[in-house]
Amino acid sequence: MSGRRLNLGLVTGGALVGVVVAAALVSFVWTPHDPTLVDAAGKLREPGGGYLLGADKFGRDTLSQLMVGARTTLYVGVVAVGIAAVVGTPLGVAAGMAPRSRGWLSELIMRVNDLVFAFPALLLAVMLGAVYGAGTLTAMIAIGVATVPAFARVARAATMQVMVTDYVLAARAAGRRGPAIAVRHVLPNIGSVLIVQASVSFAIAILAEAALSFLGFGTRPPTPSWGRMLQESQELLFSTPRLALWPGLAIALAVLGFNLLGDGLRDHLDPKLRSARG
Amino acid sequence: MIVYLLKRLAVLLASVAAAGVAVFAFMAVLPGDPAEIALGVNATPEAVAELRARFGTDRPPAAQFLDWFGGLAHGDFGTSYVTSSPIGPQIAERLGVTTVLVLGGMVVALIVAVPAGTFAAVHHRDPLGAAISAVSQVGIAIPAFLAGILLVFVFAVKAQALPSGGYVPIADDPAEWLRSLLLPWLSLGLVQGAVLTRYVRSAVLDVMREDYLRTARAKGRGRMGALWRHGLRNASIPVVTVLGLQLATLLIGAVVVERVFVIPGLGDLLLNGVAGRDLLLVQGVVMVLVAAVLLINFVVDVCYAVLDPRLRGAR
Amino acid sequence: MLTVEGLSVRAEDLELVREVSFGIGPGERVGLIGESGSGKSLTALALMGLLPDGVTASGTARLGDRDLVGVPERRLKDLRGRTVSMVFQEPMTALNPLMRVGAQVAEVMTLHGVAKGRARERAAELLGRVRLPDPERIARSYPHQLSGGQRQRVMLAIALANEPDLLICDEPTTALDVTVQKQMLELIAEVAPALLFITHDLAVVASLCERVLVMYGGRVVESGPLREVFKHPRHRYTEGLLAASRLPPRGTRLATIPGAVPAAGRFPGGCVFRDRCAHATETCETAPDLTGPEEPTGPEEPTGPAELTGPEPRGDGHAFACWHPRG
Repeated sequence: MSGRRLNLGLVTGGALVGVVVAAALVSFVWTPHDPTLVDAAGKLREPGGGYLLGADKFGRDTLSQLMVGARTTLYVGVVAVGIAAVVGTPLGVAAGMAPRSRGWLSELIMRVNDLVFAFPALLLAVMLGAVYGAGTLTAMIAIGVATVPAFARVARAATMQVMVTDYVLAARAAGRRGPAIAVRHVLPNIGSVLIVQASVSFAIAILAEAALSFLGFGTRPPTPSWGRMLQESQELLFSTPRLALWPGLAIALAVLGFNLLGDGLRDHLDPKLRSARG
Repeated sequence: MIVYLLKRLAVLLASVAAAGVAVFAFMAVLPGDPAEIALGVNATPEAVAELRARFGTDRPPAAQFLDWFGGLAHGDFGTSYVTSSPIGPQIAERLGVTTVLVLGGMVVALIVAVPAGTFAAVHHRDPLGAAISAVSQVGIAIPAFLAGILLVFVFAVKAQALPSGGYVPIADDPAEWLRSLLLPWLSLGLVQGAVLTRYVRSAVLDVMREDYLRTARAKGRGRMGALWRHGLRNASIPVVTVLGLQLATLLIGAVVVERVFVIPGLGDLLLNGVAGRDLLLVQGVVMVLVAAVLLINFVVDVCYAVLDPRLRGAR
Repeated sequence: MLTVEGLSVRAEDLELVREVSFGIGPGERVGLIGESGSGKSLTALALMGLLPDGVTASGTARLGDRDLVGVPERRLKDLRGRTVSMVFQEPMTALNPLMRVGAQVAEVMTLHGVAKGRARERAAELLGRVRLPDPERIARSYPHQLSGGQRQRVMLAIALANEPDLLICDEPTTALDVTVQKQMLELIAEVAPALLFITHDLAVVASLCERVLVMYGGRVVESGPLREVFKHPRHRYTEGLLAASRLPPRGTRLATIPGAVPAAGRFPGGCVFRDRCAHATETCETAPDLTGPEEPTGPEEPTGPAELTGPEPRGDGHAFACWHPRG
C-alpha cells in the first residue's frame, strides 16, 4: 500500500479544490469587505489599497465576491451531487442486482434513466424557473436531477461487476437476502467508483451552476455567484476586462480541480481501472 | 439490421412520447390556470371561463395533451397565450439558426480533436503528447460562455477583427453572416474539441494496443499505415458515442452562447419565453430540444450499426 | 538461412532475453519451448521487429542476407509479411473486426506489390489452401462470423500469402479446442516453409519439429535434435519439463518442477534455474555457457561467422548450459 505513489493530477486537483474550499470556509468568518456593499465612490476601483483585485461597477470588492461565490458554488454542487447520489445510487444498485427473472425492473429503471438523460440540467432549470421562479433551489434541484442518470449508470455497471464475484455468489449461496448483500458487499465495493463519479459530477455541477447564474436562472442577487459576476462583467469587457478575468479563472480552476481530483482518485483507488484517459 | 433499426425507431418514438407527457405535465398542468394568469386576479369568473374555452384549457388534461402532442406532429405548437401569435413558425425560424450554430461548433470540435487526439495517442510517451493532454484537460474546465467572453476579448476588443455579437442572416450578406458566426462557432467548438480530444486520444490508444494492429504490422504496414487503415474506423466507434453526447451538450451550450453573442436562436427564444412568462412557448421549445437530444441518440445507434458489422447481424 | 546470434531483449533496465543464438536451415522446423515468461514470444517478436514500445533488441539476426535487428522500420516493413510471416496466439483478436476476411488476406499481397484484382482472387485460393470450406463465402465474411479455428486458418492464409521463407508461429493452437488444434498442426506441418514454432506444449513440438530449443529465464538452456533432447535431456530444467509432461503411472504423484517461474528480471544470477534446481551448487552462481559435449569450449551455434552468406552450416549437436547435467 505504501508503494502507491500519489500522482501529479491528484495532488494538483486536491490543491485546487482545497483552495476553493478554504476560500469558502474563510468567507464565513472573514472577507476583506462586505461583498454585497454597494459603494458608489468606489465604482470600478482599480486593484490595490485593500481592494486586492479591485471592485465592480457597484463598487463591490471583487475578492470578497469571489470568496462568497466559492461558497455558493460549493453549496450548489454539494446539494446537487447529494441529490444525484442519494437517488441515483439505489436505483443503479437495484437495477444491477435485479435477477434475470426480474429483468423488467432493471429495464424499466434504465429506460426512465435514459429519458431523464434527455433533459439536461439547463432545460430542467429553465422549466423550473419558468414555473416557480428561478433561484438557488431550482438550480440545485435541476442540476441534481439531471445528474441522477450518471450515478445510476455507474452504480449499475459497478454493481453488475460485484454481483458475479465469488464472495457475492458465496453470500447468495449461504442464503443472504438482497438488501443484506447490497449493504454488506455491494456498497462497500462500489464506493470508490461512486467517489470518483461524485468528483467528476461536481465539476459538471459547477459548470452548470455558472451557466445558470450567467443566464439568470441560478442564485439571485445580491448573493454573489461566479456565473453572474461573469454576466455582469460582459458589458464592461471593452473597458474593464479584469472583471471577467477573475470569475472566469475561478470557474475554470475549480472545474479543473474537481476533474483532476476525479481522475487522480480513479487511478489511486483502483489501479485496475487505470485507463488511457488522462 | 432492419429489425434492429425498427426496434430502435420504436424506442425513439416511445421516448419522444414519454418526454412529451413529462414536459406537458410539468409545464401545462402544474403551474395553474393560464387564463387566470393572463387576466390577473381581478378578472370576473365569466371572463376567465370564456378565455379558458378559447385556450381549450377547460377540457380534461388528457384531451389537451393529445391535442397539443398531435399538433406537434405537423408542426403546430399552438398559439401563445401571451402574444396570441402561433408558436410553430417562430420555433421553425429559430431552429435553423441554432442548427447552423451547433453543427458549425461540432465541425470546429472535430477539426481540433481528431488530429490532436490522434497525435497525442501516437506520441503518448513524448512531452508534446502529454502537453496536448494537459491543454485539453484545461479546455474541459472552461465553459462555452466563458470561452465566448475570452474570444470576444481577444478578437473583438483587442484585435477588433470580428464583431462581438449580433447575427446577420445569410440571405442579407453571406460574408457578414460568416463573420457573425465565427466566434460563436469557436466558443462552442474549442471547448467541445478539448473534451473530444481526450476521447479520441483514449480511443486511439486502445486501438493501438489491439492485436489486429500488430497483425497489420506483421503484414508489412508501418505504424502509421496500420493505424490509418485498421485503427481509425475502429477508434471511431467509441468516439461516435461521445459525439452524440456532445451534440446534445452543444445544443444546450448553444442556448448560453446565443445569449453571449445575441444570436436569435432557440435558446434566445426560450429565455425570452421565460422572461415573458409565455409557458406554452417554453413548453414548445423545451420539447423541440429534448426531441433533438433523443433523435441524436437514435442517430448514434444507427451509426454504430453502419460502422460495426458485429451489430448488423445481431439483435 | 536464419542466423540469430547474441540476441538480447531489454525493457529499460530489465534484460528479458539474454544472448540467444540459434539457426534455422531452409525447410527446417524448429521448436522453441519453455514456460510462460521464459522469453519465447519476445524472441519471436524481436525477429519480426514488432516488440512493444519501450522494449528493444540487440545482437544480430539475419535472414538470408537481410538483417532483422537494429534495422530501421522502413526496411523491416518490407520483409514482414513477405519474407518472414507470423501467426499469433490469440485468433479471436488478431483480425480487424470491421473488415471482410478476404480483404484482410488480400491486403498482405497488395502491400507487397500484387495487383488488387489478382490479390482478391488469390485470397480465395489461399483460404481454400488452409482448408476452409467454401472459401468464396469465407472471404466475404467478417471475423465475428468465424470460429476461433477458422480465424486461425485465416491468419495462416495471411502468413503464407507471399510465400515467405520463414514462418513464425507463437502458440498458434493454444487458444483452440484439442480437435481443432490437431488439424491446425497438421496443416502447419504441411504448408510451412522453414518454421519457428513457439509453444509450451512438448507434445506439439514432438509431433511437428525436427530440432528444439529450450528457453528458461530469457536464455536458451538446451538445444539439439528433437529425439536427442527429449530422450536424453541434459539440462536439469529440460529434465523437469519432460518429467512434468509425462503422464505418470497410476498411483504415483504428478511430477512438477518445484517453485514458480520468477517475474521478469527476478531470475537469479549465474544459472537462471538454480533457485529451482535440486542439483544446484556454488558453481551454479557462475553462468554456464551453452555447450555441446563434443565441443566443450566454443559456442555451439551458429558455427559460421555472421557475414557468411549462402547455406549456413548447421550445428546438429546437442548443447546445454548446465554445470551438473543429467547422465
